[in-house]
Amino acid sequence: MSERKWLLSAFLPGAGQFLGGRRYRGGAILLLWLILVVIVAAYGQPIWWISPILIWLWNIWDAFHLQRLGREASLFLPLLAGLSVLYGIGWQITQIDLRSADMRRALQIVRPMLRPDFVQPRRELNQMWVEILVPCKENPPRAFNKLDGKTAMATPDCARVGEVVIVSVQGLWPNTDTQIWWQTPIGDPKMLGPNESQMLILPTDDNGALSATIRVPTTALVAAPDPSLALPHRVYFDQYRNVGGWELSFNGREVLKGAGVTIAMALMATVLASLFAIPISFLAARNLMGGHPVTFAIYFAVRTFLNVLRSIESLILALIFVVIVGLGPFAGVLALALHSIAALGKLYADVLESIDPGPIEAIRATGANWAQVVRYAVIPQIISPFVAFTIYRWDINVRSATIIGLVGGGGIGYLLVELIRINDMRGVSAVFITIAVIVIALDVLSARIRERLV
Amino acid sequence: MQAMPALQRITRSALLIALVIVVLGFSWRATGIDLPRLLRDLPKGATLVRAFLTPDLFTREVETSVIGVDFPVPCGSAPQGVPPTNGPRLLPSVGCAAPGETFTLMGKEFPASSEILVRWLLPDGRTLNAVRVRTDAQGAFTATLQARPILTTQDGKSARLEAEIQRPVGGLKPSQALRDVAREMFVTIFMALLSTTIATLIAAPLSFLAASNITRRGCLGSGVYYLSRSFFNIIRAYDPLVMATIFAFWLGYGPFAGVLALTVVTIASLGKLFSEVVENIDPGPLEALQACGANRLQTVRYAVVPQIVPDFISFIIYHWDINVRISTIIGYVGGGGIGFYLSQRINGFEYNQAGTALWAIVIVVWLMDFLSAEVRKRVV
Amino acid sequence: MLRVEHLTKIYPNGTVALKDVSFEVPDGEFLVVIGLSGSGKSTLLRCINRLIEPTEGKIYWNDVDITAASPAQLRQIRRQIGMIFQQFNLVRRSKVITNVLAGRLGYVNPWLSLLGIWPAEERRRALAALERVGIADKAYERADALSGGQQQRVGIARALMQEPRLILADEPVASLDPVLAHSILQYLEELNKEGVTVICSLHFLDLVHRYATRVIALKQGVKVFEGKPQEIDRQRFKEIYGEEAQEVRAASL
Ligand SMILES: Nc1ncnc2c1ncn2[C@@H]1O[C@H](COP(=O)(O)OP(=O)(O)O)[C@@H](O)[C@H]1O
Ligand SMILES: [Mg+2]
Repeated sequence: MSERKWLLSAFLPGAGQFLGGRRYRGGAILLLWLILVVIVAAYGQPIWWISPILIWLWNIWDAFHLQRLGREASLFLPLLAGLSVLYGIGWQITQIDLRSADMRRALQIVRPMLRPDFVQPRRELNQMWVEILVPCKENPPRAFNKLDGKTAMATPDCARVGEVVIVSVQGLWPNTDTQIWWQTPIGDPKMLGPNESQMLILPTDDNGALSATIRVPTTALVAAPDPSLALPHRVYFDQYRNVGGWELSFNGREVLKGAGVTIAMALMATVLASLFAIPISFLAARNLMGGHPVTFAIYFAVRTFLNVLRSIESLILALIFVVIVGLGPFAGVLALALHSIAALGKLYADVLESIDPGPIEAIRATGANWAQVVRYAVIPQIISPFVAFTIYRWDINVRSATIIGLVGGGGIGYLLVELIRINDMRGVSAVFITIAVIVIALDVLSARIRERLV
Repeated sequence: MQAMPALQRITRSALLIALVIVVLGFSWRATGIDLPRLLRDLPKGATLVRAFLTPDLFTREVETSVIGVDFPVPCGSAPQGVPPTNGPRLLPSVGCAAPGETFTLMGKEFPASSEILVRWLLPDGRTLNAVRVRTDAQGAFTATLQARPILTTQDGKSARLEAEIQRPVGGLKPSQALRDVAREMFVTIFMALLSTTIATLIAAPLSFLAASNITRRGCLGSGVYYLSRSFFNIIRAYDPLVMATIFAFWLGYGPFAGVLALTVVTIASLGKLFSEVVENIDPGPLEALQACGANRLQTVRYAVVPQIVPDFISFIIYHWDINVRISTIIGYVGGGGIGFYLSQRINGFEYNQAGTALWAIVIVVWLMDFLSAEVRKRVV
Repeated sequence: MLRVEHLTKIYPNGTVALKDVSFEVPDGEFLVVIGLSGSGKSTLLRCINRLIEPTEGKIYWNDVDITAASPAQLRQIRRQIGMIFQQFNLVRRSKVITNVLAGRLGYVNPWLSLLGIWPAEERRRALAALERVGIADKAYERADALSGGQQQRVGIARALMQEPRLILADEPVASLDPVLAHSILQYLEELNKEGVTVICSLHFLDLVHRYATRVIALKQGVKVFEGKPQEIDRQRFKEIYGEEAQEVRAASL
């Protein structure tokens, strides 16, 4: 019987090896083989069963080898069989489909990203407008407007949706492209170019005059509460002229604002967290709490709580807080702060546990009271590691704050999601650049400060 | 003479403190911190946490049966219903009512402490939910109802009060949520596995380009060195989730986008770590092998590879660990896997199902943490 | 026969490590190079197998100009020149036998060697080399599990694998205690007796007297002495090592 021990591996993989004294090898073979079987069974494509069968055969061979020749069989075959299953199934399960990686679409995304929308040339606006009644009613007011030496008029004075109107304007800048667009009474802009999906742009003549034939947009009354009510709509004539220099574009301002909010979120979270973490850390320091069963129990409970809390990603906490206090940076601050309390509490407690008792004894020996001991023996030892860890945490929190924004925590992450939703790739590009700059700059800064402190 | 520096120091500290206060004040405003609101809304959080703590794990097949009683509005427009005398039954305080009248409804011998939906079956066949009640330990409930004008008898057909009873039959089985979560978790782990592997295969050769002791020779060498180093540093600044937003926009929502985003960031991060390992190798063995007449490839194979492989493996396992964590949440921004499931459950207010996913995430992350720590101990 | 002519080495940072050094080493000699730390001993030895590119001057090995050799020729030459290092330069995480086999890389098929496949004959040769330095039983241990003296013996075994005609030993015993120093140098002496030329840099005067057949002394990159070891008396020693130097005897440590 005993010389046939290897045969046991045919019934239970690893059994022969296990009984042959190679417990670790036997256990590992059994465990990994079972995992493989579960994966293949769960995936349910029969072809993959080849691999567990091969490994099962190899395992018998290995057990035989071990017992008869005292040598291990090569791991090459089982590794190959196991890995090919893992990667084969993994490839299919994660739907990796290189054909879906459409390079033309990638180019469409990347090309605008090469021109980040941060700044624009500083421009001056020259604007004129005229009011038209839609739809008509009796005795409509004249569609005529005079302002700052500019005049604009429309004929007829009123029109129905889809009808043709001739608009003309005088006194604008000469020979300049002019954007002509429609504004409904509730302030919705409508375009007047082809298909109403493009801007109508015409140049003015040498005298700054212009006349154009437009159609009242088909969507002009879409949002109107009562389409039969005649209300004044406006036709605008906009001219822009570069006045030299650059200014932040709309997206540029939003990105900077978002970046500020993100950094502020991280800062607030770090400050709030350290306020809570400092007292908590004293409860989680073994050298301070280990003396008495009751305090030890508190120590143990606090440590466990910190460990559990720390293992929950701040993003998941953010999901919860978004539900509680609604979208916005406040939810992000709360999530980051809660996670940071756990992380900082542990780090602070570790610092407290490693303080040198020598100075405490020395100060106490001078007859100092408790407060004096803390002031002159404890605080000098802990202040700089505390500050270093706090700054380190701030650095981490800035990174986390960006991604918390993605799930509705506000700041630059939220802006990123919004810009992607409206397909504004130049804005997205500005966001990406800003994120890199913030993260790298804070990385360097916090490393510098910590270097100084430690 | 002594007073000046002291004065300066005090002014400087005061300015610094003022600056800190201003910055904190601005941050407080910018982040919209609203503590009263937090206190007010905290009960909402309690409900949420309670739902998370009772994840949806198992279900039983349920058999639904409907109990009803005819209830004419107004009185006399149709015959009144006669409730049964035993078994689950609905007992209105009046047999019929005028429109607008209120009455109490009692229920008896329903399943104990369970939720019952009471509804009206209108004469035209539509239903109108009336009230949701919980039965007590004896399976009884009372509710106040109003006879609405819409219940008015039509063509001699009266409205009917109904209650649905769901009775579990058969044994426990994994709920739909549990099965979905298991499947998504499977995907998630494979996402981490695949991205870590692909990233390793790409980062390992690239890291040599960013190692000063290997590459930084001559003009071209320095160029390659700085280029690859800045590439690593810039890409590393992005969290995989940030990357995933743009990959999901390109490839559509799904695990493929998540895998790619994770891979790209892992390449940069591993590449940096690897290149530091390569920079720290002992040059002695390289020199020795060159002195033996070995060629470049042989020197790499026999002097470089043995020195770096254990550190590489330890970093790979470390990243595998990180990638499991991230792939559990990357679905939130379109990267597929359990994160996507979680986001949909939360957006759909299905908090028990979300709880199932959360527990799965916590368990898997802990398990992988433990496993990778074990493996790392053995390898290094 | 090795001939060094007007060898000069200036490092990129401007340090002149060797200045116009010329000498000859007939086959079968045990040449010892002495000099203060920083005098250019390592630079000299490394210029000979061009681990360091000389700035000026020529080095002939059996009338082949090493300084003008192409990369392929250089590998041909290097595989005949064994080198032993102060810090042993073993791959600490590899097995001893792998370290020894690596000495043979210049001879075997490069592609097979990349796959880690070695002919049985080479394995036998490696075991024999380890046998010769007395640590055959450690063949399958990791190199960093060995003591310093044992590691240096692995270094010698690696050089033996090259079947060298010349051995360059750069302070081979500086990191070892005196008793071990003798046992290591005895292996070199033995090889030298079998006809292998040895060039070795050393620190201890009594070791120089005991093993050298000829001595070269360097001072700030300049050759200041060449001759028999017996000619180095107290006076010469002071000249080479400076006024404050005290002769230290390895045996007295
Ligand atoms: N790679 C290098 N770059 C610049 N200077 C070097 C380099 N290596 C050695 N040196 C300098 O060259 C001189 C000779 O060094 P070395 O040959 O190592 O002397 P030894 O081996 O005799 O101690 C020393 O001054 C040393 O500082
Ligand atoms: Mg030296």
